[in-house]
Amino acid sequence: MSGKLVTTGVLIAGLVAGAASGWYTLQRGMVQGEVYSGWSGSKVTGSVDADPWTRARVAVSGLLALNKSQAIYFSRNTDDSGARLREDCRYRVTGGVLTARWWSITVYAADNYLPLNDDDALSFDQTEAQPDGKSEWTGILSPIRPDGQPWASTSKAGNYDITLRLYQPTPQAQADYAAIPMPKVTKLDCGGAA
Amino acid sequence: MNRKLKLLALFVGAAIVGHVGLVMAVPHAIMNVAMNRISGDGARINQFSFGPRTTKDSRGVVRPSPDLAYASCVYDLSKGPLLVSAAPSPNQGYVSLSVFAANTDNIAALDTTQYPQGIRFVLARKGQPVPAGVQVVESPSDKGIILDRRLAPTAELFAEIDQARRADSCAPLAQS
Repeated sequence: MSGKLVTTGVLIAGLVAGAASGWYTLQRGMVQGEVYSGWSGSKVTGSVDADPWTRARVAVSGLLALNKSQAIYFSRNTDDSGARLREDCRYRVTGGVLTARWWSITVYAADNYLPLNDDDALSFDQTEAQPDGKSEWTGILSPIRPDGQPWASTSKAGNYDITLRLYQPTPQAQADYAAIPMPKVTKLDCGGAA
Repeated sequence: MNRKLKLLALFVGAAIVGHVGLVMAVPHAIMNVAMNRISGDGARINQFSFGPRTTKDSRGVVRPSPDLAYASCVYDLSKGPLLVSAAPSPNQGYVSLSVFAANTDNIAALDTTQYPQGIRFVLARKGQPVPAGVQVVESPSDKGIILDRRLAPTAELFAEIDQARRADSCAPLAQS
């Protein structure tokens, strides 16, 4: 093999390997960045200050995301024990007063789109999850509709994650994500077991 | 340096170029795909398109929120600035207009908490002439996307706000 051919081959192999490693780093989706009580979020999502990797990751898995002055996004694919969220399990999501004008929690399948089910329950939000006497709200993630509780269906969601949107967060929330009282995600049961 | 070391250095250098080049190119490439989808391959530039209620079948842009109603305008400032406006929702619910440059950066976000009577601004490139006394948003690129988001978690609310958002405008300043 001629020297020129070898050099060209090494050059092409390097470019392909580099591009492949770049694509791999972008496939980790929205569940990366700083972690706050199990929820991942980035302060530079949507921002002109975002580094090239954050910008590319958001383009792949969160295109047209707002900057933190308007909305903060957190995602997770595990429950509070650290176990992977499963389509066939039931989870209780509980939280207190969130420091924003409005919030929602939405289920996303691994392809970054909504799960292909016909439950018409792809999320629950602040207008549905009313606080109880202790100012605490509860929602359910499960493949089957619960009785009388805010619900996001995980039917046909596969390896899903959930995204918490905080719209018009308070200045304090924007400045310090660690001060946001993040909702808890607790596994109740799996496979229909009560 | 012997030949093997030179080839190793070439491989590492090419890998860095490939990695960084892909990471830098991806936002522009994905934004171009989104702009083509939203504008119907360029048929609807500098005008709002009003999306239906978000469902499992909403596949235009990743991670849509089923609680929001979206309207979008693919802008092109190559022939001059645009006047952009959005009326408030009848229930005073959340409304925002956000501007995204060609590299996906969210360069501006205005909402009806700041502007309860409605949002109105001129979108222009730096150096383009703009009228006095109007809020101006400068875009670093000729092309990009303006997104109208409105809180509409139920079908009833969606029907209400759908009427209001039809007054949205995204048109060349000269025609406005």
